[in-house]
Amino acid sequence: MERNVQKNGLVNLVAAVMIFIAAFVVTCFVNSLAGQGCSIFLGLGALVAFAGWFQMRLEENERLEKLEVEELARAKGESTLFTSKDAEVFPAQRAREQFEKYFVPGFGVLLFLLEAGGAWLLWRWIAKPANGVAPDRAMPSLALFGIFALLLFLLGRFSVTIARLENHRLLRPSASFLLAGAYLCFVTALGIAGVKVDFPKVDFYLARALCVLLGLMAAEMLGTLLLEIYRPRVKGRVARPVYDSRLVGLLAQPESLFTTAAQALDYQFGFKVSETWFFQLLQKNLPLLVLAQLVVLLLSTCVVFIDAGEQAVLERFGRPVGVLEPGAHFKLPWPADRIYLYRTDQIQTFDIGFTPDAQSEQAKTILWSVSHSKEENFLVANREPVTIRNENTDTNDTLKAPPVSLITVSIPVQFQITNVLAWAYTNAEPTNLLQDLATREVVHYLAGVDLNDVMSHMRLEAARDLRLQIQAAVDEYHLGAKIIFVGLQDIHPPVKVAGDYEKVVGAEQTKLAKILDARAMAIRTNALAGARAFTMTNVADATRQRLSVSALASAALFTNQIPAFAAAPSVYRQRKYFQAFADATAGARKYILLVTNTQDVVIFDLEDKIREDLLNLNVPSSPNHSSP
Amino acid sequence: MKRNAMTVVIGTVLIVIFALLLFVFQVRQSEVAVVTTFGRPTRNLTEPGAYCKWPWPVEKVYKFDQRVQNFEDRFSQNLTADNNNLLVMVYVGWKITDAKAFFPKFAGGSTLAAQSMLESMLRSAKSAVVGKHPLADFVNADAKQLKFNAIENEIEQAVQSQLQTNNCGIGIAFLGIKKLGLPENVTQTVFQRMTSERQILISQFEFEGEAEAQKIRSAAERQAAETIANADAAATRIRGEGEAEAAKVLPVFQQNPELENFLLRIGALQQSLNQRATLIFDERTPPFDLFQHLPTNAPSR
Repeated sequence: MERNVQKNGLVNLVAAVMIFIAAFVVTCFVNSLAGQGCSIFLGLGALVAFAGWFQMRLEENERLEKLEVEELARAKGESTLFTSKDAEVFPAQRAREQFEKYFVPGFGVLLFLLEAGGAWLLWRWIAKPANGVAPDRAMPSLALFGIFALLLFLLGRFSVTIARLENHRLLRPSASFLLAGAYLCFVTALGIAGVKVDFPKVDFYLARALCVLLGLMAAEMLGTLLLEIYRPRVKGRVARPVYDSRLVGLLAQPESLFTTAAQALDYQFGFKVSETWFFQLLQKNLPLLVLAQLVVLLLSTCVVFIDAGEQAVLERFGRPVGVLEPGAHFKLPWPADRIYLYRTDQIQTFDIGFTPDAQSEQAKTILWSVSHSKEENFLVANREPVTIRNENTDTNDTLKAPPVSLITVSIPVQFQITNVLAWAYTNAEPTNLLQDLATREVVHYLAGVDLNDVMSHMRLEAARDLRLQIQAAVDEYHLGAKIIFVGLQDIHPPVKVAGDYEKVVGAEQTKLAKILDARAMAIRTNALAGARAFTMTNVADATRQRLSVSALASAALFTNQIPAFAAAPSVYRQRKYFQAFADATAGARKYILLVTNTQDVVIFDLEDKIREDLLNLNVPSSPNHSSP
Repeated sequence: MKRNAMTVVIGTVLIVIFALLLFVFQVRQSEVAVVTTFGRPTRNLTEPGAYCKWPWPVEKVYKFDQRVQNFEDRFSQNLTADNNNLLVMVYVGWKITDAKAFFPKFAGGSTLAAQSMLESMLRSAKSAVVGKHPLADFVNADAKQLKFNAIENEIEQAVQSQLQTNNCGIGIAFLGIKKLGLPENVTQTVFQRMTSERQILISQFEFEGEAEAQKIRSAAERQAAETIANADAAATRIRGEGEAEAAKVLPVFQQNPELENFLLRIGALQQSLNQRATLIFDERTPPFDLFQHLPTNAPSR
């Protein structure tokens, strides 16, 4: 029986090593992240199996040594030679003790380092974006991991069962690793299968979970090593090996949780809950329940619900057999029947010429001169080519500006899938093709129109033409889509020259302002001229009236003066003369030259003064000064 | 015992599932498959359905998407026939026409390798075709002068002929120009030219406005002058009429011309002295002749 234990240990070791190597090769072949974590675990299992097998060999040697000593003692009687407790007499025992004292803790430290290092390296490795399962290699790898899981499961179950026997305790660590390895191989297979059912991230998340598991194992090993230092050594009491992980044991035999739970329940309730029929049923039929779950899972793939606005293509062994409308449908279970969903009623949108920018989208005002998204420049035709000198270059070369202009457009395109079979099977990436076709039509259209035309009066016409042209291209390539809307929502010169376009608008307004100013001035000038003309004619009318009336009055006066003059001509003349003289000279400065006793020279400055000054003021003459 | 039987059932089910996975595979409507036996292509499956095979490593299945696949090449610079630099990007739809021929030529049927080769061919063909056409074939205010379709056909034909020559097992389904552009340096000159064009328009508007305003002002001034001239003429006429009216009473003055003459002179004297005047009289001028006999300090003669 004891020999069988050692043989079982060796079988476990060989199986662990071989499956570890095979799993590692398959992992590299399929590039599975979860497979890498699983390989690390299997490698650790191989090391543990080796340590367990080696310790079994030492214990077996010790047992044989004791038997031989006892045999000799019985044959030769009591002898001082064989009653000695010296270690030299029991080299196998001594070797086993040395092994447990030095190698086992050292091996525990090694395991801790490998587990922690493996967890850390794997965590960093799976973070690299280029990693992932190769889809074309998934199926054989999936099958191989399934086989590994099956082999490990059978061997692990067997080992776990016999490890419960007396003196088979050293088989338990490797058995737990094998059984847990079986589950991890199965999990890895699930991760690889995720790629085939369009859930490639499953592999990634499983790899992360395995990293966590390795980290927990490292933490447990560290704790065990620390506790091992303070563990009371009781002679004759067999200690649990450091490398026998309780966590792995729990992972390998989750049903042991039932035992633990049953014990806890028994303690809490005060009676044997674990002996009730329900608990017994649950414990005995757990595999059946798991199998039933799997069957239910498989049967659930026979029913499919299509949401409103969607259609599904049903494939039976890869051959399309129909299109499923919204509602509940029955189908054969996976993998015989598969469905592929498409949003057919939903209006889908893509953008041409710009990439929406979340920050710019919040702006309330959209200006040409302020970039409101990540915009592209399109070439448009230009009717008047001009050659200008490039002032930015260091050389004096004259760069020829091609007869084109640049324009920025923002064109949202909305479409709907009308023929789901054509959409699914004509092109591998129909949405991308639709975008390419639409962009091509936009580029083509803009290349044949003038910048100013398309920005102004041709806008609506351009949107309509573009929609028709894109639809024609879609029909030509049998994409099975309908173009619902093409909008020229934003079309303007690039931001760099948009300011100059705004200046043109400003100049046009300035022109209008100047014309309006001139019109206002014309109105004022004409109005003033009219008023002046009116005044002139009125003055003339007044003059005419004055002349007429004045002449009549003068004639009447003259008629009355004739008798007076005739009566006393000289007196009348003198009287009129002096009246007129007095009136006329009243305001004039008068100099009267009389004969004096001095020879005076009077100098008259008869020049006009340029401006008035104080000297021109009429100062009342002083009584002390007499006129000359 | 019952538990062992259950374990055996579960194990058997798992074995059946894994065996099915190893021996059976599906080909979808959108796929084409090549089966290799010890590495040598032996079967070419183009119809959808479930097929059997020997497990790896005896037989291995390579599946390819037989739908049209798209890719776009890089936005690369080319020289047109009239020496303009033009950036052109094209998109290509290609599909696997012969999986058996396709599979060995591209490292186990790698579509990425096929696209890489296709891109090299495409860039070469694109440069050659663009070099044969002037810029006006790509961008023209007269849409009828554009040769987009012809250029696309020429590039497609050039790539297609190379693919057929090499028997790559792939064919071009369609090809189109996706993007046109100019190098950054040339783009700056275009921006400058666009700015200059705007400047021309700005000047045009400004001076047109000035000229128009000047015309309006001039017309207004002319009209005002005309109005004033007309008014002046009317005023002159009216004044003449007044003078004519006044002249009607002249015969009255003719009754005593001497008196009228005297009165006119007096009137003229009054009017002439209305302004500032300085008068110098001697003692003989009436009424200052009153000073003649006053005593003075003149020396006796």
